[in-house]
Amino acid sequence: MSEKLYQIISKVFNVESSKINDETSPENLEEWDSFNFYVLLDELENEFNIKFDLDETLEIKKVGDFKEIFERHRIND
Amino acid sequence: MGKNENLSYFLNEAKNIKTDDFEKKIRIAILGSSTINGYEETIRVKCHQKKIACRTYNSNYNQYNQEILKKDSKFYEFKPDITFLILDVRHVLGELFFIPYSLSELEKREFIKNKVTEITNLIKTITNHSKSHVIFSDLQIPTYSPYGINEQKQEFGLKQIVKNINEKIKIEIKNEDLAYILDFNEFIQKYGEENIFNYKQYFSGDMKISIEFIPKFIDELMKFVNALTGSTKKCIVLDLDNTLWGGVVGEDGFDKIKLGDDPIGKSFVEFQKRLLALNQRGIILAINSKNNFDDAIKVINEHPNMILRKENFSSMKINWNDKVSNLREISKELNIGIDSLVFFDDDQMNREFVRNQLSDVLVVDLPTDSSIYPKILTEMNVFESIKITDEDLKRRDMYSQQQKRNEFKNEVGDFNEFLKKMNIEIKIKKANNFSISRISQLTLKTNQFNLTTKRYKEKEIEIFSKDENKIVECVEVKDKFGDNGITGAYIVEKKENEWIIDTFLLSCRIIGRGIEDSMLEQIIEKARKQNIKIIKGKFIPTQKNKPAENFYENFGFSLEQDFWVFNTDNTINKPEHIKVIKNE
Repeated sequence: MSEKLYQIISKVFNVESSKINDETSPENLEEWDSFNFYVLLDELENEFNIKFDLDETLEIKKVGDFKEIFERHRIND
Repeated sequence: MGKNENLSYFLNEAKNIKTDDFEKKIRIAILGSSTINGYEETIRVKCHQKKIACRTYNSNYNQYNQEILKKDSKFYEFKPDITFLILDVRHVLGELFFIPYSLSELEKREFIKNKVTEITNLIKTITNHSKSHVIFSDLQIPTYSPYGINEQKQEFGLKQIVKNINEKIKIEIKNEDLAYILDFNEFIQKYGEENIFNYKQYFSGDMKISIEFIPKFIDELMKFVNALTGSTKKCIVLDLDNTLWGGVVGEDGFDKIKLGDDPIGKSFVEFQKRLLALNQRGIILAINSKNNFDDAIKVINEHPNMILRKENFSSMKINWNDKVSNLREISKELNIGIDSLVFFDDDQMNREFVRNQLSDVLVVDLPTDSSIYPKILTEMNVFESIKITDEDLKRRDMYSQQQKRNEFKNEVGDFNEFLKKMNIEIKIKKANNFSISRISQLTLKTNQFNLTTKRYKEKEIEIFSKDENKIVECVEVKDKFGDNGITGAYIVEKKENEWIIDTFLLSCRIIGRGIEDSMLEQIIEKARKQNIKIIKGKFIPTQKNKPAENFYENFGFSLEQDFWVFNTDNTINKPEHIKVIKNE
């Protein structure tokens, strides 16, 4: 799951996937801005076939937070 | 393209655009009441794909009012060619969007009136203070009303309020040359409100259109951009077997091809009807098919369910030559650029072959399922034209007249004799309200016989035509086979001691018959009357205007530095076979 997640993040933010880990956040990745964060959410929803709740999207402060949400949605592939 | 049509592709691709030294250029401003992030990136990429150099300007979030009303704003400083004004119905209606029944009938009427005035003022302010076209995306008609099934019983239900505003704005700007409406509700109808509007994205970032559908929305904007930059296609070239009808006529036979009666046959009939409609508004059709001529022409002439007949095709290449040679022939015969052609063929090998050899032809990927053909055709946005002129509507006839001319030419044999017998008559007319849009269209679309290839919008032609120091004239051409309409134009700049030919062009359909010489002679005669000795003009070479390369030289101009120069004391050889009527 991590690998696919990192791949999508790297594609949307247009950065190498080696630069991405669970601690990646808007603070340490300048390509992460408020708008392409929504673009990312949209792509993840389509890619993993889930819908984030609005409050879930507000919880996300770093890449690792996605994983927690995925676990909640029981996505493990 | 294809898979890569999501927004992140466009956002990233926009960063990679480096070279955009294209001949076609456009400056696009997008003013919105909601978040319009991602729009400009997508439109830049889509322009780049179409070889249009594009600069964009975005208004700040919901600042469109100030930017339009302040004459020294960044928006006007940007000097857009086209401005998209995209307002969200929620912003325009405010609280009324949710509680439309808080107002009385009278107050609702007052509200509608005020909103219409407000919005049309914005539109007119832009057209008055800039040369920009303005495209107003009309207001989304809500799909929900608190009145439920009783909505229709209300004199002024919520939906009616919005419909009224849209309708009244449409009427208000109908006669504004530079203002157009983008039918936003048509866009919603096509993809569905549930897909286009995403509550989460709306609450998170005030997005009017969901991220997934932004690229689709930009396609709607591109229709206007294509039309304005003249990036439109003129001719659809069609294969026959499994493209215009189901099956292979040479193998299945006249009676067995699928056209009309069964589900597959119905899809081909509908496809043909869609093609016929485009043909009637001026898109030329041609055939490029590997077939026995007799088998194919029998279907075209005699099949009871055939919609398109011989007269709908301006060129028919039904033979065993390869598709690329046929396309070249078609382009030559119809005198239109290879890049004006769209090619439909069900065979993938043929498509790849054409793509490889003629990269300027737009090759359509037809799926194996013929039921999708009509949809593919109606969703192509390459036939847009900013105005449908009389010439567009007449074009189909003009090409069939052209065929008769060619036949006549072969009949007469000697070319000079042919010209004499053609009874060519040209009318020289000053630009006026009836011809300005056509003159602009000619400058945008004419590539071959165009000496300077300067592209002018309608507004610019209008301004030139009122300028005392400019001559803007067009030429209407008639001969024994029919009326070609306005097919030539020139713009001359009058300086104190010399005249400079700024633009000189002729539709390629009619070049080589001496009409170009008659036009130039008109300019020279005029100059003589006003005691002007020197006429100068440039030839600016492009990839396509080779046919005009030697025009000045052959006429007797001599090259002095950058200009071709003619002394009006010199004699000229009038083309005697042309009758000139001056209508000033």
